[in-house]
Amino acid sequence: MQQLFNSSSLKSFFIKLACFFTLVFLVDFSIGSILKKYYFKQKAGLDYETTYAMDKTEADILILGSSRASNLFDPEIFEQHFNMSCYNAGRYGLPLFYHYAVFKAALKRHTPKIVLLSFDAGNFSKKKEAYDKLSILLPYYNYHPEIRPMADLRSRYEKIKMLSAMYPFNSLLFSIITGNSASAKTKDISFKGYIPISEVMKGPLILTDYTKDRELDTVKINTYKAFIQDCIKLKIKLYIVCPPYKINAIGNDASIAAAKEIAQQYNIDFLDHTFDTTYTSRMELFYDFRHLNITGVKLFCNDIIAEIYSKKDNQ
Amino acid sequence: MLFNSFDFLFFFIIVVSLYFVLPQPKRWILLLLSSCIFYMAFVPIYILILGFTILVDYFAGIYIEKAQGKRKKLFLIYSLIANIGVLCIFKYYNFINTNFSFLLHGFGLTNPIPYLSILLPIGLSFHTFQAMSYTIEVYRGNQKAEHHFGLYALYVMFFPQLVAGPIERPQNLLHQFRQQHYFDSNRVFEGLKIMIWGLFKKLVIADRLSIYVNNAYNHAPQQDGITLLMATVFFSFQIYCDFSGYSDIAIGAAKVMGFDLMTNFKRPLFAKSTAEFWKRWHISLSTWFKDYLYFPLGGNKRSVPRTYMNLMIVFLISGLWHGANWNFFIWGGINGFYLVFAIITKKWQAHFTKASGLGNFPKVNLFLQIITTFTLICFSRVFFRSQSISDAVFIFKKMATFKGSIFNSGSAIIIYCFFAIGFLLAVEFKKEFYKGTFTLSHNKYFWVRNCYYSLLVILIILIGVFDGGQFIYFQF
Repeated sequence: MQQLFNSSSLKSFFIKLACFFTLVFLVDFSIGSILKKYYFKQKAGLDYETTYAMDKTEADILILGSSRASNLFDPEIFEQHFNMSCYNAGRYGLPLFYHYAVFKAALKRHTPKIVLLSFDAGNFSKKKEAYDKLSILLPYYNYHPEIRPMADLRSRYEKIKMLSAMYPFNSLLFSIITGNSASAKTKDISFKGYIPISEVMKGPLILTDYTKDRELDTVKINTYKAFIQDCIKLKIKLYIVCPPYKINAIGNDASIAAAKEIAQQYNIDFLDHTFDTTYTSRMELFYDFRHLNITGVKLFCNDIIAEIYSKKDNQ
Repeated sequence: MLFNSFDFLFFFIIVVSLYFVLPQPKRWILLLLSSCIFYMAFVPIYILILGFTILVDYFAGIYIEKAQGKRKKLFLIYSLIANIGVLCIFKYYNFINTNFSFLLHGFGLTNPIPYLSILLPIGLSFHTFQAMSYTIEVYRGNQKAEHHFGLYALYVMFFPQLVAGPIERPQNLLHQFRQQHYFDSNRVFEGLKIMIWGLFKKLVIADRLSIYVNNAYNHAPQQDGITLLMATVFFSFQIYCDFSGYSDIAIGAAKVMGFDLMTNFKRPLFAKSTAEFWKRWHISLSTWFKDYLYFPLGGNKRSVPRTYMNLMIVFLISGLWHGANWNFFIWGGINGFYLVFAIITKKWQAHFTKASGLGNFPKVNLFLQIITTFTLICFSRVFFRSQSISDAVFIFKKMATFKGSIFNSGSAIIIYCFFAIGFLLAVEFKKEFYKGTFTLSHNKYFWVRNCYYSLLVILIILIGVFDGGQFIYFQF
């Protein structure tokens, strides 16, 4: 104790440290406030779509999922057939936690009638990246308390990190600039969240070994179950859809098998088209091994709609 | 416990606070305990391996000091066998076994020796080398044997440099554990500044570049040649910032507590030759190999062919030190070859410089030398980054096409990468060529220094990659 408090350096140390942190705090607060303002002012782009899905959409049909949701579900087709409004809240490369967070945020304002959850192979796999990607939720952390349990999955220090005003916008500088640029709206090719792709798949098929990577993440499975339970509780008709893949597969995906089993337990419709030969036999319907192109999408959406009708009829 | 984690931040604040509160004679206990906690945060059971080498080398040191003649050498050999044996079991066993299987397969035989399913203890090569330097120095009479077991254990386990160096020498570190370190705000700030710069290099530069590099190298068949070429260049910056960033945090953390660790990097990006590069890169390992392998082999004091052979041996072993894989061996071989080739062609190089007139333009000449060295280092690092030799060959073939675009997943990544590299080069260029002038980090005005380090922290929060994870050299 004596050594510490006798030191003449101690006072100057704390003064300098206080000066440093004051400066960092002021700059952090100023830049953070500017970034926040412009983040929510974006006119187009992926962040804008997330904000719209969380804060604005009142669509009767809500589509959730990763890139296979945003590229494969055309809201216009669903609107025409069901005579209901539809919004595609799918977002590239994001895990189930994100979709559940968007769903929870949207539920605060509005209860959709139908939810289509696009489910992918490997969705339950144990992967650290799935948690890292939840940084997308951080701009909404302070005013959407319902999403915090998901955002907090990133790390146990998320609450501390959120003391910084800039941290929620980490690495978002360029997307904020482009989202606010004059050309953002004109460059935006999405329609109600749906991003069409017109190119046709070329090249050899990828060999995917589903017998590997079979360790499943219980946190993801529990999130999936919570999603289903919320839909049942709120009487939302939930359809879980597995769109087709154009691959040479070895074995079956453990995540899809588990998701199917859980859906059956809760009596939820699980529309599995993973290896549906209607698609897998036709290269011209695909853009790449995971995504259908617009020709494939038309066929696929109509098939899903027909399947939903047939399920309804059976009930 | 990673340096770039909140766990370490809290750990460090607690340890430093307690360190200055405790009286000097008790501090080693705190440091040793905290080093154990630090190490056990990775794989707790592996502390037993560390304990084993500490025990062996502690007693070996004492016996080497006491013994005379052949017995002295014998104790050193025992110690080296124990250390290298641990390395062989945990790092090279499966590699040797795989190659043995391959050999037997050539004769139509099956290898009956089983493979070990074990994780490589973190930082094994680093602390083993540090432990070996102690017994060698005691043997050579440059260091007295440490009779205080706690202090010796701390020498091997000192947490700032435990898992990725700098690989210290007993003469530099051991005596520091006995010194009284008062709280000195200037020194503490100096240490914190080095740590911030290290964190900046890791989070803003290395981990940002790693997004591009990993994308390209992990999916090489789907990438264009130009993308792979760019990834190879980026990897050189990534590994430099990753490793030197770690070293800076280690040196800074030690400095906060009053310890001076050896310099591990001296702006290797501005090396004018590959020989100079190795004097600036991972200095603690380069000097280790020089002192304990190159010189005992005869260095350059014997015949010219023997010098070449010694250089090749050192670099090939250095390659294997990095990883139990043939691509590391080749990487070492290429770098050894660069040095040998440079010696062989020394006269021709001088002649070329004179004949081409480059000698009249020293700045142009310097620039060309730096670029050539960097290119050669980048070339060899394809083997370092690739998973196998065939992967490296595939990447070389693709790069040679010079086809495609440099973008692989959005322009934002590239912009961040170029910004990060530009910032690094600007800082290092100033340090290299304008040392002491235009200084922001050591400006005489407090607020200028304060603004500079605040800027670094702001950039870390704004564009740092917080999910980058482990340091590359932890695996070695």
